[in-house]
Amino acid sequence: MGTVIEASAIATAAAHQRTLAPGALELADLAARSCLDRANRTADELDLLINAGVYHDKILSEPAFASLIQEDIGANLSHPATGGHGTFSFDVYNGACGLLTAIHLVDGMLASGTVELGMVVASDLDPEPGLSEGFSFPGVGGAVLLSADDSRLGFTAFRLATFPEFAGLFQSYVDWHEDAGRGLAGHGRNILTVDIAESYTARALECAESTARELAAAQSLDLDEVDLLVATASVPGFADGLATRLGVSAERVAALPDGLAGAHTAAPAAALESVALTSGTTALFVSAGAGITVAAALYRG
Amino acid sequence: MIDEDGSMDKREAPVNGSEHWMALEGGVDGSAGAGAYTSRFVGIGASVPEQRVTSDELMASTTHRTGIDLERLTGVRERRIAGEGEDSYTLALGAARDALAYANCAAEDLDVLIVSSITHYVGGLRMQLDPPLSVSLKHALGAQRALSFDISNACAGMMTGVFILNDMIRSGRIRRGMVVSGEYISQLGRNAALEVRTMMDDQLASLTLGDAGAAAILERAPEGAPGIEVAGFTTLAEHSRLCLAFPAKIGRGASMYSDARTLQEVGIEDTVPMLREALDQAGLRFDEIDYFIPHQTSARAIKKGVKEFSERMGGAPKHVVVTVDEFGNTSSTTHFVALWKYLREGRFAEQDRVLLLSIASGLEVGIVIFKVDQLVGRYGHGH
Repeated sequence: MGTVIEASAIATAAAHQRTLAPGALELADLAARSCLDRANRTADELDLLINAGVYHDKILSEPAFASLIQEDIGANLSHPATGGHGTFSFDVYNGACGLLTAIHLVDGMLASGTVELGMVVASDLDPEPGLSEGFSFPGVGGAVLLSADDSRLGFTAFRLATFPEFAGLFQSYVDWHEDAGRGLAGHGRNILTVDIAESYTARALECAESTARELAAAQSLDLDEVDLLVATASVPGFADGLATRLGVSAERVAALPDGLAGAHTAAPAAALESVALTSGTTALFVSAGAGITVAAALYRG
Repeated sequence: MIDEDGSMDKREAPVNGSEHWMALEGGVDGSAGAGAYTSRFVGIGASVPEQRVTSDELMASTTHRTGIDLERLTGVRERRIAGEGEDSYTLALGAARDALAYANCAAEDLDVLIVSSITHYVGGLRMQLDPPLSVSLKHALGAQRALSFDISNACAGMMTGVFILNDMIRSGRIRRGMVVSGEYISQLGRNAALEVRTMMDDQLASLTLGDAGAAAILERAPEGAPGIEVAGFTTLAEHSRLCLAFPAKIGRGASMYSDARTLQEVGIEDTVPMLREALDQAGLRFDEIDYFIPHQTSARAIKKGVKEFSERMGGAPKHVVVTVDEFGNTSSTTHFVALWKYLREGRFAEQDRVLLLSIASGLEVGIVIFKVDQLVGRYGHGH
């Protein structure tokens, strides 16, 4: 029995700017609804909903962003007298590796039988355009719907690794800036700063390559067998760079849609827009993010 | 299982056999939640700051003359406040090391490390978003093999971590994991004190908050040994917007705005069927619970909840644990600070059965039922 991707979907800020002026929440909502539609599923069928996005409206720290998404898409909002099953929502934060980390958690709960249908949602958008510093990720939300399938292998292995010696290369934080000119109270405000060093991409590629090779070795996977490489790290050019290092040809790289190069947590879902995980496909997912953290997963369609 | 080389393979798993409202693990009905193994707590650690602030002292600092008797209203006599050099990270690290000592295991024995803090303050009131806190905690602890990540689920964060670890251990994917949280959250109270005017203020609940770190280590129990009997969670999202927290507009740190009264009312009402479901799954009555540890928001809310639950469930637990009087509401850590205190004080007997109940923003309802068993001996008590 394997965990399979039933559907994935994205929603971009660019596509909805004129009609919606969306925040990260609306992008997540749109992607989640679209994903359910593509799978011909209803929100009430969801047992588990995990948000893996980091940069969202107001930089909300409570409640879990996933619970807001759950309410917006109408998934089992209250307990009816007639019973049935509910939805459990929470957030995972693992930077750009969040989506794969969340898929790993859903995979575990599907395998144990604790849940039967899970969705992972991620979105990032500048919470306060013009006031944050260094935020350059394109606004996009993504969703991936997962279930167990007796007839397919689906995700067969995961590997997560951390490289704390490179923690300083990608940092983001919110702290107070004294500034009489900008604060609502006339004396300052909390500001989001994202700081990615120039050397981050090169280090992320090194870390991602070693983790991907370790996963392949543990699974006796010849990298020539990889039909599809889904590689993301919040910076443009990462997928092609990793493909070169791993010896995977360029035509087997899942490219991010136009305008989404450097997408953050939703990037793996965005990359899936241009490809099909058909039967027999062997896909290698690799995400790298701040930490440096790397998440890799092997998927057999 | 996590292989020696660190990769995780899937194993044959049972098929989901029954339908519950909650996502449920464990129980007596032979459903999928029955799992292949039992997980158990082997170490509960905490790190509480030395510095104390009484409710009288906090209310004396308000900008406006409120006339609120906070201690009388909430039962919170005092709370611990992070001092110089303390923050979410240091509190979590201290609690993690404390838990490892009680569990008598090394950090490198951890297969998974989950950080579940709401607050992510490192180096004072600088909230870290990337990298996740779990990266630096894993490194500081020396948990080289551990799969690590952060989760966030309001005050149900640590309980959510327990739910995740319990599932991983029961299904045989891992042997041992830690969930840890460091909450430097008292600064929400300090910000609220600048703005609160009346008892109906939407920042009133912030005044009950206190700082603490807590950690719990779970591992696969030997065959036949007791441990976690049932763990369940659900999110009743029609109430998701009753409590919101984000970076403050008036100063460093954060502010929290909540409709505490409604949250309490719907929390109690919606929890009753969940309690019934979890207890049924465990084959237990409410009065068979020896220690009931609810989320510690206020003594009044706990008293009201227990009264309602007991009436509706047809019986009452033997003991109700209240620590909010001396620690305040330490958000995601409350259950484990209470467990840590009671274990150190030798309050539990080995055969005692404990029910942890989370009611948190979301609206999250989480329940964990377990037998204390060998934990007692790890704290120098019992046989």
